Amino acid sequence: MKIKAYLPFISGGIQSQLAYKWNFFGFFIGEIFFTFVMYYLWKAVFLHTDTGIINGFTILDMTVYIFVSNITQFLTGTDASYAIGEEIVDGSVSMRMIKPVSYDISLLFNEIGTKVVLLVLIMIPVFTGIEIFRYAQTGAIAFSASRLGVYLVSSILSYLVLFYFDLCFGFLAFVLKNLWGFNLLKGSIVRFLSGGMIPLVFFPAWALGILRFLPFSSMCYTPVMIYTGNWSAAQTLASMALQLFWAIAFWLLSRAIWNTTVKRLTVQGG
Amino acid sequence: MTEARNPSVPARVGTAVRRTGHRIRRFFRLYRIFISQFLKRLVEYRIDFLTGAFAFFFGQLFNVLFVFLIFENITELDGWSLQHIIFIYGFSLIPRGIDHLYADNLWKVAYFLVRKGDFDKYLTRPIDPLLHVLMEGFEPDALGELLTGIILVIAAGTSLGLELTAAQWLLGAVAVAAGTLIYTGIKIIFASAALWIKRSGSLLHMVYMTSDFVKYPVSIYNAFIRTLVTYVIPFAFTSFYPASYLLTGKDPLFCVGGTVIAGITAVCLGRFIWTRGINAYESAGS
Repeated sequence: MKIKAYLPFISGGIQSQLAYKWNFFGFFIGEIFFTFVMYYLWKAVFLHTDTGIINGFTILDMTVYIFVSNITQFLTGTDASYAIGEEIVDGSVSMRMIKPVSYDISLLFNEIGTKVVLLVLIMIPVFTGIEIFRYAQTGAIAFSASRLGVYLVSSILSYLVLFYFDLCFGFLAFVLKNLWGFNLLKGSIVRFLSGGMIPLVFFPAWALGILRFLPFSSMCYTPVMIYTGNWSAAQTLASMALQLFWAIAFWLLSRAIWNTTVKRLTVQGG
Repeated sequence: MTEARNPSVPARVGTAVRRTGHRIRRFFRLYRIFISQFLKRLVEYRIDFLTGAFAFFFGQLFNVLFVFLIFENITELDGWSLQHIIFIYGFSLIPRGIDHLYADNLWKVAYFLVRKGDFDKYLTRPIDPLLHVLMEGFEPDALGELLTGIILVIAAGTSLGLELTAAQWLLGAVAVAAGTLIYTGIKIIFASAALWIKRSGSLLHMVYMTSDFVKYPVSIYNAFIRTLVTYVIPFAFTSFYPASYLLTGKDPLFCVGGTVIAGITAVCLGRFIWTRGINAYESAGS
């Protein structure tokens, strides 16, 4: 693979993100609303506990969890299934087959370009805000650069799991014409089972035992728990290894689906 | 003398009534035609429509599971029990679902109909453009949302042993209708923005997302958010206020009266801005 051939896709992603900046600011603000709904809900929940600790979480832990998990979901979110689904339905997927670049990597690099914009414009101010909040609440600086580094690596792995999972999902458009509803359903399932709404330790023990190994926890829960600092080094490493496993598994699966369907594909127009 | 030239007052009123009657009959005839067109598409793409409704139904169930998980740790939230919260949550889905059923096309106006120049077609037809937009977009996905709402309200109400008075039934129905108008009115207002700026989808999305706040009792929020969802973008009147009236029987004047006022205001303001937008509209097409 020649990396040079894919660099224009990154700059294309950056440009399209900047061209539609109001679009993603609108979505970002929508996400912030959701974050505050969760924050106030948990605040009310913690008021009704005697010890102030639920499943090992204090209100401060929960606040950090909510904000970090929402920003992580915003940063690692992917539109791969929309992109590929739309191309399959309107036939332009045929253009991907005649170009001398790999379809998934060009899509991936295009999206990485949009992420670069998000990192600069959104992530830095949000994380600064979270750390200032933590400092104001405890009077101690909890920030650790190495933990942020591990968090970032784990987030990238989360993104790769999500991207290839989503790509496999987008291939359903070969069978179903209307993916809109399924995309929403997939969004709700992923958000719920990946710890995007509630930390996985709040699930009943039997469910937690299963969820720990399903790909969903690799999509959000792992990087967020790493950032909150509640995990041991051993648990961090094991969870990140699982992330890597799922990223590779979905990558191989997407390859397999693509290679088998392409042979049988008929495109009308496009 | 004047009598001879102008028709008498009762006659003029009679003409106006006849004309309005004619308009309403025409509207319903057209709506029948649009619905029958829609049903033809429905038969053609049966599976797609079913999956959409199914997806919305299950998507909502995860939010209910979330509430159950929270209540594993507490017995009440700000004075409301699990059943109360489920009732409020379910009620919030009913006006939202009804609006989603008939006014979904407004999203398309906001996102791409204007930007791609496809909006022109609404202006060339002998029918009010706003009515045309609404009639064209019947969205069966909404049935999933609506059904979840109704099931949750019935289940929570039964489990609470809730017995509504005749007045509560009546005011509850009024609140659902007015709450629907709040959704539609707000959507018209922000979809109209596209008539000036070509694309207002993310703006509409942002405003619509404030409805996330009102799925839970608004008393859990700080004063700023409470004021925002009560008086500025009055989504709280589509859910928490009328639902709390049904649950407690208290304060119908504010809880249902407020919903009616907010609904009528939102739709009138929407209509006014839409008309201004149509007059200012310049096509983006070629």
